[in-house]
Amino acid sequence: MTRWTRLRENSLLLLPSVILTVALGIYPLIWVLRYMFYDYPGYGEETFVGLENFRRLLRDTAFWESVRNTFVFAGGKLLITVPLSLVLAVILNGRLRGRHFLRAVFFMPTVVSTAVIAVVFYLIFNSYNGMVNQLLMKYHLIGSPFEWLGPKHAMLTVILAAAWGAVGNYMLLFLAGLQSIPHDLYEAAAIDGAGPMQRFWRITVPMLGPVMQIIIMLAIIASLKGYESIMVMTEGGPIGKTEVMYLYLYKLLFPVATSGAPADQQFGYGSAVGFTTAVIVGIITAAYYWMSRKMNKVF
Amino acid sequence: MWKKGLGLGLTAALAIGTAACGNSSNNGDASASAPASSAATSSSTASAAPSKASSGDKAVITYWTDDRHDQEYIKSLIDKFNAENKDNIEVELTVLSENYNQSVDIAFSSNKAPDVLRLKSANTETFVKKGYLAPIDAYVTDDMKSKFGSLLLDGVNTFDGKLYSLPNSGQTLRLVYNKDLFDKAGIANPPQSLQEMVDDAKKITAAGKSEGAYGFALNFKNPKSAFDRSIREILSLSGYQGLGYDLKTAQFDFKPYGQVVDYFKQMWDDGSVLPGAETLDIDPMRAQFAAGKIGMYLSFATEPGVYKDQFPTTINWSAALAPTLEGKQVGTSEIVSAGTWLGISDRSKHKDAAWKFMAYMYQDDFLTAYHEQGFGISVVPSIAEKAKNPDIPGMEGFLVGEHDSIWPVSPSVTPEGANYGDAFFKYMLSGGDVNKVVTDLNARYNDALAKAVEKGDVKIQPNPSFDPSKLGS
Repeated sequence: MTRWTRLRENSLLLLPSVILTVALGIYPLIWVLRYMFYDYPGYGEETFVGLENFRRLLRDTAFWESVRNTFVFAGGKLLITVPLSLVLAVILNGRLRGRHFLRAVFFMPTVVSTAVIAVVFYLIFNSYNGMVNQLLMKYHLIGSPFEWLGPKHAMLTVILAAAWGAVGNYMLLFLAGLQSIPHDLYEAAAIDGAGPMQRFWRITVPMLGPVMQIIIMLAIIASLKGYESIMVMTEGGPIGKTEVMYLYLYKLLFPVATSGAPADQQFGYGSAVGFTTAVIVGIITAAYYWMSRKMNKVF
Repeated sequence: MWKKGLGLGLTAALAIGTAACGNSSNNGDASASAPASSAATSSSTASAAPSKASSGDKAVITYWTDDRHDQEYIKSLIDKFNAENKDNIEVELTVLSENYNQSVDIAFSSNKAPDVLRLKSANTETFVKKGYLAPIDAYVTDDMKSKFGSLLLDGVNTFDGKLYSLPNSGQTLRLVYNKDLFDKAGIANPPQSLQEMVDDAKKITAAGKSEGAYGFALNFKNPKSAFDRSIREILSLSGYQGLGYDLKTAQFDFKPYGQVVDYFKQMWDDGSVLPGAETLDIDPMRAQFAAGKIGMYLSFATEPGVYKDQFPTTINWSAALAPTLEGKQVGTSEIVSAGTWLGISDRSKHKDAAWKFMAYMYQDDFLTAYHEQGFGISVVPSIAEKAKNPDIPGMEGFLVGEHDSIWPVSPSVTPEGANYGDAFFKYMLSGGDVNKVVTDLNARYNDALAKAVEKGDVKIQPNPSFDPSKLGS
């Protein structure tokens, strides 16, 4: 096989990925980079507005509130999912009876549609006839319906729903990481007199370092970008309390139709918001990667 | 060291790229990648014709609608047209389940636009601006002009002097109330004023709370949708344009709107609103009304059909004119979505055939049957006069009467920041100074209006002599 033949074959094999990346990744990116300097409602002329979309972004309090909400949502989700999925993975990596069945059970939410999970959580937590309130009222633990999805507690409820849907996925990744840790290390530690907690903190956690670094990075990106379950459960409400960055962006691009005056799609401003949110996610991820660089060094 | 730096840089670039792709696909969707997703949403497509035309002469035209409530009737009309027309035209019906406007956008950007489209007053202007629609002036006959002439409005049917659509039916909006809960609370009649509504809601809640029944609710998950079906009517009947626009000055003035919101806030503060209403979509709210948990709400003339088919109910309910600010009907109750029904695509290759189908649909017999079967309330005078009232429980409260009329069009603008629905709902739940909310909304909406006028998207004309009491007369 000549060098040219090999090059041609390689190029041919790469072509589908390149086409997909260009069409679905690069092209939209260029589109966004251009339109963020324009005012464009999806019809008529595109008006070049320079940096006006970014000036508007700076004075758009609703957007910055959505950034704050995103951090609360992502932080809350991470605090629940990462430790819980690690603990579950460690338990299910042991010689527990029925562990294969339990692994499947915990992984199940990952294959269920996010929208379905959100609808189920809505049915469980809504104030007027949700199961949780009905149970609590039946046993006289509360006198009147508790507002799980009201302005004060909606964020907690959407975090719980999102965490429930994500734990199984990270558990599976942790399980894969755990199974790559040599068993000899545990045996040697046990001979040296280390107890289960010591073995967990001194062997499991450090040995999982590189895997954990990647898992946490994936979890951070997913949490910052996640909005689907919120859209179904609260649509960002009540009064913007669960409005996260990407939901705010979605509404700019696809405003909800009502019988009243229709809202225009805001492709220009939406592109500026899209770019800014992407930069925020990028900076946080890069900062995390830099701060967690030591996790990569196991030996 | 440089390797580390390179790795870090690549990671950052990758993360930005990943995130940007995530949202830019939302952006790019409109023109590029969304057809695939729209295909999924249109899975409820109901094809009226079993297969596409194979012969070269046959003109196959497609009709897209997002009306689901009348699809069986429309399908029967299309089947009849396909079987009987002598021009070798075949119509295919597509009923979209949701995201109609986006699906139309995608269809036009990917050259798969339907030939005939269902138009609503909320989307016609945008479709005209986007160049989707063909004028029908050349097709409309004199008979049609006399039949629809008095109803054709600039900014609804005509734009820049060109006609794009003809009316059929409209929607009245009413206060829908549970008579059983009213009786239980000792209230004889539906409220005439907003103060009465606040008082009634309190009484109903006091009488029914132990069984989970509350005085009032709306689909506050989307506050604008909730207010556009309630405050809009309260205001128009009180003599003010219902979407915050002052027809006399041709400027936005949300002061009357704020006054109505204050009464809504009072009901919220009193605990008279169904708990969790802030998370309710319209259908879950209707389900609660059908279960006898809600004393009253306001909505469209679609509600009788909903309680007949979608949420059959045993409760004793009725509909009445909306309450007003002072208890007096100074204006008229606005008939909404009334101006338009069908329109022809500018991209259609079979415009003549599309018009033949459109003219067929606008026959008197069909418009009459449409009204009589309760799919919509006819606003065409010659039809409304002779048609029988629809035989659907509860519809009698929604029929067009002396207090109903179509209102002049108000401009649609998209302001910076929160819309009036979100801004007022925030005030309802968290309090503050309503005057500040009104001032802020006026400033932002009038700013957007000025920009839209400057750009030529919107035309406004102050009408200092506008008198709401003269509407409909």
